[in-house]
Amino acid sequence: MPCTETLRTQEYFDGELDASASVEVERHLETCGDCATLLSDLEATRRLIREQASYHRADAPLRRRITENLRREDGDRPGVGRFVGANLRFLSGAASGSAATAMAAALVMFALVPPPASPLVGDVMNAHLRSMMSDHLVDVVSSDRHTVKPWFAGHTDVSPPAVDFAEQGYKLVGGRADYVDGRRAAVVVYRHGAHVINVFAWARDGETLPASASRNGYRFVFWRQGNLDFGAVSDTGRDELLTLARLVQKASGP
Amino acid sequence: MSDRRRRFEAQALPHLDAAYNLARRLARPPLDADDIVQEAMLRAFRAFDTFRGDNMKPWLLSIVRNCHLTAFGRTRAKLEAPLPADAELNLGDRGLIVDDPDPEASVIHTQQGRQLNAIIDRLPAEFREVLVLREMEDMSYRDIAQVTGAPIGTVMSRLARARALLRQGWIGAGQEAPHAVH
Repeated sequence: MPCTETLRTQEYFDGELDASASVEVERHLETCGDCATLLSDLEATRRLIREQASYHRADAPLRRRITENLRREDGDRPGVGRFVGANLRFLSGAASGSAATAMAAALVMFALVPPPASPLVGDVMNAHLRSMMSDHLVDVVSSDRHTVKPWFAGHTDVSPPAVDFAEQGYKLVGGRADYVDGRRAAVVVYRHGAHVINVFAWARDGETLPASASRNGYRFVFWRQGNLDFGAVSDTGRDELLTLARLVQKASGP
Repeated sequence: MSDRRRRFEAQALPHLDAAYNLARRLARPPLDADDIVQEAMLRAFRAFDTFRGDNMKPWLLSIVRNCHLTAFGRTRAKLEAPLPADAELNLGDRGLIVDDPDPEASVIHTQQGRQLNAIIDRLPAEFREVLVLREMEDMSYRDIAQVTGAPIGTVMSRLARARALLRQGWIGAGQEAPHAVH
């Protein structure tokens, strides 16, 4: 008949017993052959598993997907309130009436009321954050439009204007090929003071563009021009982002 | 990044390997450990406000386990439905690819390691999970009880059974009895 203390011996092996209980088990082990054998079997089995069995680690793509899922979930959490608030402030600014704000109003026109959790906002934000974190801000470094624009022609599906607006405070840093919502996008990168602004452009496909938005401290402006959809993102203030959007609009021509 | 997400990532991401290893040891095709872990992390993040304490590992692993059970229940429900025509069967990449796409596959496993993995994976799930949590994750009985929802006494008896079955399987596979080093 097997010893009734085997579970106790296992507890001892697993470090689940306090000092005095451990001493009791050790005393028992001196006289019980069953439990002494069990203890050495337990040690052997543990060693076998820890030395030979595969430990499956989460690989880098899975880790990236998870942090992106969390980012997206986090961004969607504030829900409709933020969007509405941003739009109302935006509209009241546009209503103050000047040539410049007429342009801003044009931007609003393009920004048809979106589903509140438009995946585009999350995607543009993720692409922006990726570019800031991964040392992959630009593929082609240049403040020369004659360098950046032809580079796009060879590396992306679209070729948006890449104009340096250094005089207006927006220095052209370079260009990058990226993806937004699964579509290939050309990105024109600007520096405005300490801030980086990514201006994404992709071939329009009829999808409703989100309203300009604010999420997690980042600002977003979307607009449509010709056969391109644009999305600008940065941690600048909203007005600074709008100013650049207007400059890009103007440079793209009517 | 919101403060809530920052806190969640700081506490949860260190246990991502443990979550994935458990999911890999629990999931059987067509279930996919990647999907289970992604779902579990999202659920955990949504429920983060209900988490109390300073050790997130058992809480997180219990969510992984529940996600697996939910997914498992779904596939069983599907299996009981009439079989779709061949054309509708979603064989996916996994159904067609014979080789394990896991990067670990590139690491040459010893014959012994493969055999041991197979023996572990053939253990009934309730034994397999306590074995993985104790021997691979080094978790206490109390934490294992939290993950599995079983009382500590049950954890102890399942663990004893799992170890005995593993040892039998190992010897039955013609391997030399594992021996301790002293």
